[in-house]
Amino acid sequence: MNRRNLIIGAVLALAIVLPVGGLASSYNALVSLDQTVESQWAQVENAYQRRADLVPNLVAVVKGAAAHERETLEAVTAARSRIGGLQLPDGPRDPQAIQQYEAAQNQLSSALGRLIAVSEAYPQLRANENFLALQSQLEGTENRITVERQRFNDDARAFNTRRDTFPTVVFAGFLGERFKAKSYFTASVGAATAPKVDFPSAG
Amino acid sequence: MQTLAPWSLWLPRGAALAGLLVVGAAHAAPTWAPPPAPTAPVTDVAGVLSPPVRAALDQRLTRYAAESGHQLVVYLDRSSGGVPIEEFAVKSFAAWKLGQAGRDDGVAVFAMTDDRTLRVEVGYGLEDSITDLAASAVIRTTMLPLIKAGKWDDAVVQGVESLVDTIEAKPGSLPVDGADGDEDAAMGLPAKVALGVLAALFLIFLILRPRSALGMLWMVGRLGLGGASGGGFRGGGGRSGGGGATGRW
Repeated sequence: MNRRNLIIGAVLALAIVLPVGGLASSYNALVSLDQTVESQWAQVENAYQRRADLVPNLVAVVKGAAAHERETLEAVTAARSRIGGLQLPDGPRDPQAIQQYEAAQNQLSSALGRLIAVSEAYPQLRANENFLALQSQLEGTENRITVERQRFNDDARAFNTRRDTFPTVVFAGFLGERFKAKSYFTASVGAATAPKVDFPSAG
Repeated sequence: MQTLAPWSLWLPRGAALAGLLVVGAAHAAPTWAPPPAPTAPVTDVAGVLSPPVRAALDQRLTRYAAESGHQLVVYLDRSSGGVPIEEFAVKSFAAWKLGQAGRDDGVAVFAMTDDRTLRVEVGYGLEDSITDLAASAVIRTTMLPLIKAGKWDDAVVQGVESLVDTIEAKPGSLPVDGADGDEDAAMGLPAKVALGVLAALFLIFLILRPRSALGMLWMVGRLGLGGASGGGFRGGGGRSGGGGATGRW
């Protein structure tokens, strides 16, 4: 009799402990995936920041040789200052903010693309060591941006997959902003519109 | 993070994993995979280097890696198979785990002879020493002119030398030869004699006791392999963020 009670008690205890333990471990897994997304987001921001930091110098050098390309130069400066004013307090947890951020960055991408295209017409610029240096740095940052964006998407996808599978999908909705599905960067803009740097018979 | 108590293993972990795999496969569309990790610093699939030059560079880079910890790898092939050289570089870098674990202080030089593309990929840990600008300078001023002239030996050797000089901020930083402390390269006469005696003994043993001789061989092989993977070529780093530079000719 006594022993039977003990067995029933043990079974009940297990029936409670097992699911709670399971939930705890999948909650923890989700938290750590969220952390990965957060830190990858920082990498994306770094890469974009690198590019933004290049812009003033690039504009200055082009201005020196091609001052009357005013419209193109102003478009770059304007796009650059819009990015400076962007606020992303919630980082990747706010899908709308990401979209705005991406749109602003894409504007800078295309403005820079035009600037590089325009400068192709100035032999003076193409022979300017300073300009060539800035161009190769720009190419480098565009590549970094592509890489970090792709990794961000991979990490966000890992989080979303985990979030949308059982059992996390059952409770993820109640846990607030942090556990909303992450949004992705869209087309691989960096790769498609990275200004092609074409060195005049390098060497 | 994944140290689970045994009692939580009942979880539909398999289901989650399956979901992940399906999504992963659908999205990644694995059209290509990085080549297998090289076993020596210099890999010349394209066959543009002369063998002695390649062997010498192998030894110098091996010694440099032993002395400085920085793993520098050269990979020459005909084509990256339609994959942009930048993507090829960053994914191979990750797959090969270049550089030391936690430091990611590897550098890889890729050249595709048919695509006419060249890429220097720099691990996170060396980004401060080899900036994009520095990598681009090595490509533009050292490597491309020599490649255009068809001088692959010089292009690769001098390119690697200037990359190492850039890391160390001092000219002539790549060891001149790999002989120092490298017993494989300089095997003296006594060692050869000893090896010969061992081989003869093994042969006799093989004839008298074939089974145990083979077992012994297996043991030795296992031990040897274990040693190689412990202090071996692969680093354990592998994180690079697209730092470096690309060149075309």
